[in-house]
Amino acid sequence: MRKLLYIMLVVFGTTNANAQGCSDAGICSIGHAFDTSKKTLKNNIEVAAIFGKGEADVAYFSPFVSYTRKITEKLSLSSKIVFSSASGSFGTSASFGDAFLIGNYTFKEKKNKQWSTLFGWKFPFTSSNKKINGYSLPLDYQASLGTFDLFLGTNLKYRKWNFNTAVQIPVFNNNKNSYFKEFSGTDDFPSTNLFQRKSDALVSASYSIVTKNEKFTFKPNVIFIYHLGEDSYETIIGKRENIIGSDGLTINGNLITAYNINKKNTLELAMATPFVVRTVRPDGLTRSFVASIIYKMAF
Amino acid sequence: MNKLLILPFLFLLCSCEEQGVLTKDGYNVTTVAQNASLKYHGAFVSTSGVSVTGEAKIYLENNQYKVQLEDFSISKGPDLKVFLSKTAAPTDFVSLGNLTSATVYIIPKGIDIAMYSHVLIHCQQYNHLFAISKLIQN
Repeated sequence: MRKLLYIMLVVFGTTNANAQGCSDAGICSIGHAFDTSKKTLKNNIEVAAIFGKGEADVAYFSPFVSYTRKITEKLSLSSKIVFSSASGSFGTSASFGDAFLIGNYTFKEKKNKQWSTLFGWKFPFTSSNKKINGYSLPLDYQASLGTFDLFLGTNLKYRKWNFNTAVQIPVFNNNKNSYFKEFSGTDDFPSTNLFQRKSDALVSASYSIVTKNEKFTFKPNVIFIYHLGEDSYETIIGKRENIIGSDGLTINGNLITAYNINKKNTLELAMATPFVVRTVRPDGLTRSFVASIIYKMAF
Repeated sequence: MNKLLILPFLFLLCSCEEQGVLTKDGYNVTTVAQNASLKYHGAFVSTSGVSVTGEAKIYLENNQYKVQLEDFSISKGPDLKVFLSKTAAPTDFVSLGNLTSATVYIIPKGIDIAMYSHVLIHCQQYNHLFAISKLIQN
């Protein structure tokens, strides 16, 4: 088993597939909120810098700050604010993306099994219609998808394994994007005028390997995301049309390497890439490779 | 260490944009040739609270219809679009794109121009009609 995991570690560290990755501000990172159950200190701050390569020539820089407060032994609350900067042929567009508020309830451990549940909201800071020089930008360049999303999830921790399931449901759509490929001068991105997005369902599994001195933790992670329907947009004649091929499965691989500086401070390096992608990704969640560095401080 | 924590907050405070190849000034801008024939025209009338001047003219040039906004100016709006519309309201229309500094907008091929009676300036984001030009055949 360990050999297999080390092979995965090497593969994840070097693969750069030309395929869809995750949004930094979405369901992929929700599993982090389950990680609070074992911490003994009540407060935790995370500061992260995330670099990504997207479709066409788009490159991303997406820092975030999060704060988690352990209310009781079982209940914790997390908040997170994400910033996003996208650069490519359309130029550079940078702004606040989304805010997250997530509650996590952890049940008592029984026979090495521990369940926890999660409930959260995503609030967008933009209506996903940022322009440069009056030109509408595709969703790949927007810091947020403009949807108010509900997160529901559950986690099972069994020995060194963690299994997550979650759903991300856009409850209220404030996406006012007005990008038409017809007016853009490129076919790289599909039209997303007044875009409407469907829900996602996630299943993930991770395995933790801790070194003997407990300084390093390696956590390979595989994430299955199913986009539960076809997204849609309004054509230039004002008719709503489904975007064929925008539903379906994405499989992401992710490797987290954590270094415990001391009991209160941790440095984490993560790399992720997708192995299976949807045919069309109008939502701009097209990262082909993501690398992040996260500093965690508990107090 | 506390100073390090301030850095990401500085990122959060900034919101910026920088033009690229596909968004630079004058990109994708078209013109109307001197030999184009004028087919329709109409002066703009504003809706309440909006100021507008100028008129819309539809030219035919090498089998391509184009809308030109002449002597045109309008109150600022957040997400203004140019619509070719079958009525004076934005209910049955063809979007010609964002209202930018450009004055000429191409009408997509396959559109039966005789079916459209108005050029509208419409704020899509807040669904607010800014100006109406009723077209008269030349």
